[in-house]
Amino acid sequence: LPAGLSQWFPALEVLDVSGTGLTEMGTELLSLPCLHTLLAKNNRLGGPGSLPKGLEQAPLARSLRVLNLSGNRFSEVPPALLQLRGLRSLSLGGNRLHGIPPDIQELHSLEFLYLGGNFITSIPPELAKLPSLRYLVLCDNKIQSIPPQLAQLHSLRSLSLHNNLLTYLPREILNLVHLDELSLRGNPLVVRFVRDLTYNPPSLQELAGRTIKTRNVPYAPSDLPESLVRYLSLASNCPNPKCGGVYFDSCVRQIKFVDFCGKYRLPLMHYLCSPECSSPYSSASQSSTSQSESDSEDEASVAAHRMQKVLLG
Amino acid sequence: MEQPVQTETWKARSLEELIRILHQIFAEDKVSVDEVQALMESYESNPEEWLQYAKFDQYRYTRNLVDNGNGKFNLMILCWGEGHGSSIHDHTDSHCFMKILQGNLKETLFEWPEKKGNGEMTKKSERVLRENQCAYINDSIGLHRVENISHTEPAVSLHLYSPPFNTCNTFDQRTGHKHKVTMTFYSQFGERTVC
Repeated sequence: LPAGLSQWFPALEVLDVSGTGLTEMGTELLSLPCLHTLLAKNNRLGGPGSLPKGLEQAPLARSLRVLNLSGNRFSEVPPALLQLRGLRSLSLGGNRLHGIPPDIQELHSLEFLYLGGNFITSIPPELAKLPSLRYLVLCDNKIQSIPPQLAQLHSLRSLSLHNNLLTYLPREILNLVHLDELSLRGNPLVVRFVRDLTYNPPSLQELAGRTIKTRNVPYAPSDLPESLVRYLSLASNCPNPKCGGVYFDSCVRQIKFVDFCGKYRLPLMHYLCSPECSSPYSSASQSSTSQSESDSEDEASVAAHRMQKVLLG
Repeated sequence: MEQPVQTETWKARSLEELIRILHQIFAEDKVSVDEVQALMESYESNPEEWLQYAKFDQYRYTRNLVDNGNGKFNLMILCWGEGHGSSIHDHTDSHCFMKILQGNLKETLFEWPEKKGNGEMTKKSERVLRENQCAYINDSIGLHRVENISHTEPAVSLHLYSPPFNTCNTFDQRTGHKHKVTMTFYSQFGERTVC
């Protein structure tokens, strides 16, 4: 960036340096107090110095709303970027990202996140802690599964997952009632019901955890090591309403097909706390058209002795 | 449309001229597909002329009506953000011309699914259309999916449909099942359409 930029243009609000071959953006950015949009796509950014040091203290950290770094060479999300607390829109499409840092949750104002066209293999559950996220693009990556926590993205309107390595989706995805757009093409989604599954019996720790939760045994953070407090907070509820149980790591996995948005028949992974539980039909599948189709394949409970390999998980 | 004896070679020097010539062509009883395709391709995209119609939406591609051809055709501009794509669809027995005004669009052609329709649909071919190229399709050729596969550049395309239609079928690639949909305009004649 040209030296003296902030002296010449102190009121600069929008800066577009796309397609200029930039390898780094320096301290000139730090003195632009009004900058809300920075477009730097199709450059050679990605190495150290791509973003200036001292970003945390700069006015930019609060003023920047839109950042477009698509078409660069980032192999990881630069930690400095996570200091931009006012960011509403972030694009890192067409880079070389292999993952998403859990600290992405620091960008708590984020509404638009474009990560298409990278090499991302998994999604951290922390991504779900972005309360304003409306548009999430993860297409053209190498993602194998979606964490069920993603259903906590209450504001999500559009989710792009096409051209990945997904074989199923978590059933919690049905909770995204505001979702208007969902792209899933180009994923090896299973098309047949998977009846066979493995069941790893719960560990002693898990059995203790389940008892504490289901019997409401009171405990305070001072009673337990921090790791166990954290473990207890990760309990998931068994979807079987008659069960009322919880599970931690040990669960039975079952694929059911559910009509979603009235258009797609999606393979959804149900997690049940034991083979004796049978999962209820979700509200989405209770429409008359889909019920009969999934009924014929989805019988009630699955015998615990079935030990054939499940193709997912 | 049938092939008339003679086809003209047109050169549209502006979007306005393109529309004018289209009205002229479609005023006749017989219209040549080749003639329309060549005319559309002859127009060299000039963003100043169509920017007013190019309204983008963050979440999906938009359809912006430019001209309704006295009921004979619909001319519209489609705006595709990065990663935006259409479903596989048919063209309700109409002719469809698609010209790239900016960026690139990938067109994937599919065979019609078997009547039983319970298997993965067959891909026929795919290609990336460049700026100013004009593609043509109708139901006898097959079905297609159009997408902007760029993660960095938006794309804009000019579409002509004759006769005009506002419903079509979309197809699930995995099963061949079809689903009728109604299409709407994001804007008409440069004005945002309020839902």
